[in-house]
Amino acid sequence: MAKITINGKIFDVDPELTVIQAAAQNGIEIPHFCWHPKLTVSGNCRMCLVEIEKMPKLAIACSTRVADGMIVKTESDRVIKARQAVMEFLLINHPLDCPICDEAGECKLQDYSYKYSVGYSRFDENKVHKPKRVRLGPNVMLDVERCIMCSRCIRFSDEIAKQPVLTFTQRGTHVVLTTFPDTQLDNKYSMNVIELCPVGALTSTDFRFASRVWEMSSTDSICVGCSRGCNTHVWVRKNEILRLTPRFNEAVNSYWMCDSGRLNTFRTVNSQERLHSPMIRKDGVLVDVGWDEAIARAVSDLKSFKKSEIAGIASAFATNEDNYVFQKVMKEVIGTKNVDYVQHVEDDAGDELLIRADKTPNSLGTRQVGVRPAEGGLDITGILKGIEEGSIRALYVLEDDIAEDPRFAAALPNLQLLIVHASVNSKTARFADIVLSCSTFAEKNGTMTNFAGRVQRLRPAVATLEQDRAKDGFAMSRWDKFASQNDRWGRSVKKDARPTWRVLTAIANALGAKLKCTTAEEVFKEIAEKLPPFKGMNYINLGSQGANANAAESVSKQKVTA
Amino acid sequence: MEKYILPDIPDLHSIAVYEANGGYKAFRKALGMKPEEVTDEVKKSGLRGRGGACFPTGLKWTFMPKQSAKPKYLCVNGDEAEPGTFKDRQILEFNPHLLIEGIVLAAYAMGITTSFVYVRGEYGKWVRMLERALADASSHGYVGDNILGSGFSTNIVVHKGAGAYICGEESSLMNSIEGGRGYPRVKPPFPAQSGLWGCPTTINNVESICNVPVIINNGAEWYAKIGAPKHPGPILVGVSGHVNKPGVYEMPTGLPLLEIIYKFAGGIPGDKRIKAVIPGGSSTMILRGEQLEGVCMDADSLKAAGSSVGTAGLIVMDEDTDLIQVITRISKFYYHESCGQCTPCREGTGWLWKILQRFERGEGRTEDIDLLMDIANNIEGNTICALGDAAAWPVQSMIRRFRDEFENRAKSLTMGSSTIAL
Ligand SMILES: Cc1cc2nc3c(=O)[nH]c(=O)nc-3n(C[C@H](O)[C@H](O)[C@H](O)COP(=O)(O)O)c2cc1C
Ligand code: SF4
Ligand code: SF4
Repeated sequence: MAKITINGKIFDVDPELTVIQAAAQNGIEIPHFCWHPKLTVSGNCRMCLVEIEKMPKLAIACSTRVADGMIVKTESDRVIKARQAVMEFLLINHPLDCPICDEAGECKLQDYSYKYSVGYSRFDENKVHKPKRVRLGPNVMLDVERCIMCSRCIRFSDEIAKQPVLTFTQRGTHVVLTTFPDTQLDNKYSMNVIELCPVGALTSTDFRFASRVWEMSSTDSICVGCSRGCNTHVWVRKNEILRLTPRFNEAVNSYWMCDSGRLNTFRTVNSQERLHSPMIRKDGVLVDVGWDEAIARAVSDLKSFKKSEIAGIASAFATNEDNYVFQKVMKEVIGTKNVDYVQHVEDDAGDELLIRADKTPNSLGTRQVGVRPAEGGLDITGILKGIEEGSIRALYVLEDDIAEDPRFAAALPNLQLLIVHASVNSKTARFADIVLSCSTFAEKNGTMTNFAGRVQRLRPAVATLEQDRAKDGFAMSRWDKFASQNDRWGRSVKKDARPTWRVLTAIANALGAKLKCTTAEEVFKEIAEKLPPFKGMNYINLGSQGANANAAESVSKQKVTA
Repeated sequence: MEKYILPDIPDLHSIAVYEANGGYKAFRKALGMKPEEVTDEVKKSGLRGRGGACFPTGLKWTFMPKQSAKPKYLCVNGDEAEPGTFKDRQILEFNPHLLIEGIVLAAYAMGITTSFVYVRGEYGKWVRMLERALADASSHGYVGDNILGSGFSTNIVVHKGAGAYICGEESSLMNSIEGGRGYPRVKPPFPAQSGLWGCPTTINNVESICNVPVIINNGAEWYAKIGAPKHPGPILVGVSGHVNKPGVYEMPTGLPLLEIIYKFAGGIPGDKRIKAVIPGGSSTMILRGEQLEGVCMDADSLKAAGSSVGTAGLIVMDEDTDLIQVITRISKFYYHESCGQCTPCREGTGWLWKILQRFERGEGRTEDIDLLMDIANNIEGNTICALGDAAAWPVQSMIRRFRDEFENRAKSLTMGSSTIAL
């Protein structure tokens, strides 16, 4: 341990740390642009200059190792003057784009200008002009004028994404970030450079000019694109998701997420194909009905089958709460033993950074909450065979488009009854007799367990018909707070969808059960009480970072076939 | 005075002439010494680097680890891009074998496996001259495997730069040799810990290395007595500007600048008054003509006068010189050569130049003078490499010593442009 003094306070720190790390660990922020905890040190922005006793010059905190007895000042007059100078230098050639810049509102340069700059400019010359619209790759645009040459994007591409295609060319103020000839920034993680970029130089081709940052609410959630479960912020304006960005969680995804998860997973939420309400088949066609009618129909239809003729397929796309209630209702209320789920593993689709071959966000959790055939029941292969052979006549499917598999697509017409929970007009829904429109991952509370046993929370970011952003404690944007129903910012479309576990509870109770949970949180409480992997967990202590499922129990011994 | 680095011997660049005049004798002598003894001798000689910073050469060599699992490298800096500096070029042309002998000696002292001589890209002709000399030295068995049957092997590679002043900065030079962008590295780690390809490396200027055979031949004690005691040895001074005989002159350190200007370089054309002198290449602080009495070409004397030896590139300016034009041109150079890596230098150099251009056009304002000073102060000491300082010092010293020149320019604006709308 090294004893160092920062701004008069003494700290014991690991001697391997740099001053910026030691300060950060002790809650002292040393402003910086180019330094990033996960990238090598480049030392170029000079924003983190600090005064260290016995050193004649100011030193950069990002590359200076702590030493026993070191005395650091981060707020002395010399430091403040140097910092103001760096801010002034950075701003002299920076375009005054803030009013049209995507980054405004979450820009380090803008924030630091308020915090560390003097507030006026002594620069009375012409600014340097550079290209404003350069496509670095399919998902990333560059505005060279805004670039402060911190090299974070270059280091990310070299060191983390392992696609070394970015470089600077030219010298001095003419330095231009560019891709090497005949290359483009098109790795699977390319969009992380957008958040890494401390300014608005790198923007998302998808999100560009879509919204000011403060017009959106940001909700902590997780990505449902694969079994990694990268932590995310879900950004919503007018009840519509405009973008997902990665949220730091060292145990899961560090600072990163993949482009596919970021761009594709929220499309279903906003999709034109979303169901407006529950539907039942009348005279051969699916028609919109109210919830009461749909539930009553499901109850009466289910009653007309023998228990052994019914099967249930849970979903690794659904939450632990959904799957838990599902297997309980199927086994204990409806009384079938035939319960399983479908795996979606794409061989060779995984990589060493984040992306997993298992394309569902919750397969481990699905098993942990008890989705498996009861003693003597059919597993997924058996269920499929049963449908094909006619022994299974009623099928209850949670949020999984099983008809994407041609074997299921061919078998489903054999069924007498198909009940489906779906959020969009899926292939499976088109075969269904009853479709229960369900809330997506972005519209409900719940938990999912990632491949490594990390139990993590989903939170509603988009409101459904029955929800109210303010009353239900949603994250609120400026428009959510201040727009009125009479102006266009206050108007938004809400879908008539409900969380699966709640619809299941209603059906079960109509069938005579006495399930009491009225919130996802209560369901999770029951899970935590009953199932060892979840022991001791609750929504509060899962917090924003989740918790590891109790290790010994985390991997179900159950072998699952698809 | 006798000359050691550039003696007046015709055809000394040919290996036969070099050998006939005692060439490679120092190296034969060194083979009878332990490597540490060679380093010790250089240390005792008091030799200080001729590349700009006057750093003690022997001391620098001791930073190299004795034992190293990785290969050790020497980089010989012949980038020579500081305006007013053209001395290393003379060595490459007239005495390349002295450089080669010096390199082999340094390699022997530090256990170097490969040395890289980095020559500025514009020196195409001199690169070829050095390569020719190197081929001769190799064929005569002074470079390569098992040199002179001693069991000691070392190689020399000539590397041509691509036209960037910044690649003369030692860590940028290493990046350039590695094939990377000419960006200076953040120090520490210092080159002796982690230099070329992460291996222990020493960087020395061409002229510094050329002093080594002289030291080994004649002994450290003898050497230490030449010139200024704390900065001894022969030194190549490149004199340019308003002098009758510009050129590179070898002399002992510590000679008065006025003696150099009037005796060596033949005085000022038309016997004009000296207005200003830049003593050691464009980055060193400018001195007023009246201030030169007693100022000598060595580290202490120039420091006391408020400047430095730098590369001993003495630039002389007569009374008719427009110093605003001079400083604008110097600033343009540093602006143009800033690698752009770190904020104060990248942005500050351009800003300085833009303001100075206004002064040159007669559009400078009195308050701009303090602004220039403040910008220079904000660059100085706050950057990754010393190019930032090199850009700041000329501006600072010009304002400090010739503020009147700026004020006159600024004033002429105020007086002459009564129509400026406020
Ligand atoms: C911007 C910059 C340019 C430099 N250019 C040269 C050069 O052209 N030649 C040189 O020998 N040293 C140059 N130097 C100094 C080198 O970094 C280094 O200090 C020197 O080569 C060490 O040699 P010495 O110890 O023998 O003087 C430069 C330094 C800076 C900051
Ligand atoms: S584009 Fe952004 S991240 Fe990349 S160097 Fe420029 S400022 Fe830094
Ligand atoms: S001081 Fe100038 S030349 Fe040196 S690293 Fe910084 S920007 Fe580059």
